Amino acid sequence: MPYYRVITPKNELDFDARQEIATGFTDVHCGISAAPRNFVHVEFMETDKPGVIDDSHGAGQFSYDTKYYIAGGNRAGRPQEIKDQILNGLIGKFCEVTGISKNDVSGHISEAPAKWTMEGGHVLPDPGEEPPEWYAADTVAASGS
Amino acid sequence: MIEFVCVVQEGCIPENIREDLANGIVKSCNEVLGEDQGPIIFHWREIAKGLAFRGGYPSTTSQVKGKIPDGCSQEDRELLMRKICDSWSTISGTSDDDAIIGIRDATWQG
Repeated sequence: MPYYRVITPKNELDFDARQEIATGFTDVHCGISAAPRNFVHVEFMETDKPGVIDDSHGAGQFSYDTKYYIAGGNRAGRPQEIKDQILNGLIGKFCEVTGISKNDVSGHISEAPAKWTMEGGHVLPDPGEEPPEWYAADTVAASGS
Repeated sequence: MIEFVCVVQEGCIPENIREDLANGIVKSCNEVLGEDQGPIIFHWREIAKGLAFRGGYPSTTSQVKGKIPDGCSQEDRELLMRKICDSWSTISGTSDDDAIIGIRDATWQG
């Protein structure tokens, strides 16, 4: 976690644009939260039938009526203003990279308890409870520097 | 009922080992949760190359996301995740870092 799915029409974004968005989302998330960069996952889902997508972190579904949609899944426990800041940052970054109007993009971030997920062989810590050793696994950031 | 969604990256988890991976998850569930939890259903989804990123770089990471009956203790949940992680890594020949294991309550609303 986090896990951000970006729903777009088919063949709308090339690889370079997708990677720029994914890197931008990583910047946004890590600029606000304490997550190591290699814990930020971004998937692009292409479809010509927008409208509904299953929640990755809960039992429900997200309905949307915009051309582009960001479906996020994060660790639970952050204040609402932080969650809003993350989502607004993601939408802003997506629009910055693509030139698409914010009116055409919407999103939602759902949450699940951190302790329900194991990543890198370790149970995730709650937001704000990250131990120093958590960052030792941030090999992506190291290789990208 | 227990349900698993396994999301893998194209070229990383061959189709011919997926049955073994599923069997490893079933064995883990039976050992930790017991064999009376009802059927265990699997859904597989493969992400095409170039559509998934981790830290801004192309991803090779698999996700194993399970929904189990509510009421599991954290101790058992961690044990289940540990067993699934070990089984997945052993069968696929990947490292712990190449798999995310999530086990949530079936009724959790997100």
